Amino acid sequence: MNSKSIYKIPNGKLLKISLDYNKNTNYINNIRITGDFFVHPEEAIELIEEELINVKLDKIKLFETIQSVIDENNIELIGLDVEGLTNGILMCLK
Amino acid sequence: MTEEWRLLLTGANTAAKNMAIDRAVLTTNSQGKVLPTVRFYEWAPSAISIGYFQSLSDEVDLKMCKKFGVDYVRRITGGGAVFHDDELTYSIVIPEDHNEIPKNIIDSYRRICGAIIKGLKNLKIGCEYKPINDIITNGKKISGNAQTRKQKTVLQHGTIIMDVDVEKMFSLLKVPNEKIRDKMISDVKQRVTSVKNCLGKNVSFNKVADAMKNGFEEEFNIKLLTGTLTEEEIKLTEKFEKECFGSKEWNYKR
Repeated sequence: MNSKSIYKIPNGKLLKISLDYNKNTNYINNIRITGDFFVHPEEAIELIEEELINVKLDKIKLFETIQSVIDENNIELIGLDVEGLTNGILMCLK
Repeated sequence: MTEEWRLLLTGANTAAKNMAIDRAVLTTNSQGKVLPTVRFYEWAPSAISIGYFQSLSDEVDLKMCKKFGVDYVRRITGGGAVFHDDELTYSIVIPEDHNEIPKNIIDSYRRICGAIIKGLKNLKIGCEYKPINDIITNGKKISGNAQTRKQKTVLQHGTIIMDVDVEKMFSLLKVPNEKIRDKMISDVKQRVTSVKNCLGKNVSFNKVADAMKNGFEEEFNIKLLTGTLTEEEIKLTEKFEKECFGSKEWNYKR
């Protein structure tokens, strides 16, 4: 099922999530993370999106998955943080 | 001896060409072929640039752009959608390890924005840096900025708003909810200003450019020497314009 969320990161930028997930299992099929934040290097956003495929829509699972991609690839988020990203994704749950 | 950097005055260009020039200079500077470079430029026709992470169809009313002959492009930098109309746009390209550029990204925004703040001060507009990427005067935004780092090189570009037409801007940008369009317009009018608003008169592009040139020279203790794009940069610009910034694939990437 497809769902969208718009979330203003506290002290940060506007995050927009477009999510396709399995309603029965709550696993992510596809995700698109957009907004007016900054990610260095920029291409890393696609890596984060790829790593989130087949991850369960669960606060701890999402947080750990995103944090580990960031740590392993030396990614810097500006105007966005892992908690905000996790919250934005969970807001898509209906 | 005072360090010399290159100043490029490339006039007004299409959105795709403007972004292609910045990318071309980033490439040649990263290869050590050109000096650190500051560029001042304009947009013809007026254009909307969106941040790297934004969705063109989510942010921009493409039908209205077509109607008003407004161009559009995705930037290689993050940040928000900008309507480039009556403004001076600058870019700076400099090696990441240059001793004037802080390693920390926010610190480097602050440092480069320092040049714009000195430039505005030369126009008798007092202002300050507001993290992450704005410059404000009396609480209102007068400049927005965006930075990327590639190939160990920093590219920061930004706007100095000379005059602003918030209604026109909002006719081109999509809003999350039509019911709040008027509220958003009045909010932005409260939050955004321009050189014209601050000084109560029109100031020419050349006068703003002179003030900014001096601002960069003062902030970085350098001399800006007016130069031109190299042959290689011209070829790279054509390549990036065609293969990247002028392509649907790039502009509709997200």
